[in-house]
Amino acid sequence: MKKMLRYVSLSSLIIVSAALAFAPAGSAQSGAAPAGKGSFSIPRTPDGKPDFTGIYQWPTYMPGDQRGKSSATTFDPKYFAPLKPGGEAFLEPRTGDMRHDEPRDFCMPAGLTAGMLSANAMQFFQTKNYLTIVHEFQRMSRIIPLDGRPFRKDIEPTYYGDSVGHWEGDALVIVSTNFKRWMLDDYYYTDPKQYRMHSEALTTTERLEWKDKDTISYLLTIDDPKIFTKPWSQLFQIKAKPEWDKVGLYEYVCEENNRCPGGKCQGN
Amino acid sequence: MQSGIIRSILLAVTLSASGTPLLAHHSFSAEYDDTKPIRVTGVITKVEWQNPHVWFYVDVKGEDGKITNYAFSGGAPGQLMRRGIMKSALIIGSTITVDGFKAKDGSTNGYGAKVTFPDGRMVFTSNQGEQEKH
Repeated sequence: MKKMLRYVSLSSLIIVSAALAFAPAGSAQSGAAPAGKGSFSIPRTPDGKPDFTGIYQWPTYMPGDQRGKSSATTFDPKYFAPLKPGGEAFLEPRTGDMRHDEPRDFCMPAGLTAGMLSANAMQFFQTKNYLTIVHEFQRMSRIIPLDGRPFRKDIEPTYYGDSVGHWEGDALVIVSTNFKRWMLDDYYYTDPKQYRMHSEALTTTERLEWKDKDTISYLLTIDDPKIFTKPWSQLFQIKAKPEWDKVGLYEYVCEENNRCPGGKCQGN
Repeated sequence: MQSGIIRSILLAVTLSASGTPLLAHHSFSAEYDDTKPIRVTGVITKVEWQNPHVWFYVDVKGEDGKITNYAFSGGAPGQLMRRGIMKSALIIGSTITVDGFKAKDGSTNGYGAKVTFPDGRMVFTSNQGEQEKH
């Protein structure tokens, strides 16, 4: 596992470096429309596409939606589609084995969709052919092709899946598939009797649209045919935080001082 | 500065009202008991301003004069940094009061939610403020 973790860290570094190298000189936020809802115009790249480059808060709840006990955002069960017979594994209980219950205690990755919903800053870098998302939590890095290429074939499933993006008008739609079976969100901390997992059949669809100069709407659709009878969606909002750009994202090397391996926290 | 103090007071009220912090990663619920709040005053002996969570250590003098070293964990450095809480907030040798939650195992580990200095300044070393702020 150590070897794998080293690989993840090195990969993240390379990805971040690549993202910085490809980042456009301007920023969506610095070039955003003047204040006032009436005068808002979508920031755009030179080729006319909506520009999502900028620094943001993680996706947060819409008013009225149920909040979890974790600082991370979690799904509100009112949006869930009915479970399929056998889909109850989605709500399987904790086992007491932290490798199952909370693998992040061993610095294992959060994966999608839990990684995107973690309570840390994230930064987007957009070019004509890529959107790169760097999330501070575990330095999650996603390089999402926007050039119309298909999913990669014949590769092992991964924690963050394989993503491709396309444009539907001014909406950027990111579809991801080929996941390992892994945690869906942070619900672990809200209800000790339930633990939300997705299956390896998961496909996620993320739909991003500028709503005003400070807000991107983020519609997350979960299509997991081994668990749910049909796809379901929850709308979140992503708030621009240009003031966070002063300090930026901080390094997140979980292995550095993980004093809680396996849920056993120990100082000194 | 004033707005920062007001925000801290508001956060303190929020913390008291809810009784429990918003939980961090790394097994707060498994390790710490949100029904067992703890308040200690002592001298900072060590600070680990590192990922995945900051840790700071405090020598606390008991009624019998015996010194016990408590270890408190808090939020991630990046989360604290964006709230203006930098490493310099916790200086070795300074006296602080820590409000937090005890470890379930009865050890001297704890979750340090709030630090108060002798002059009344407060900082939240948990990741609570990251969500409450927005």
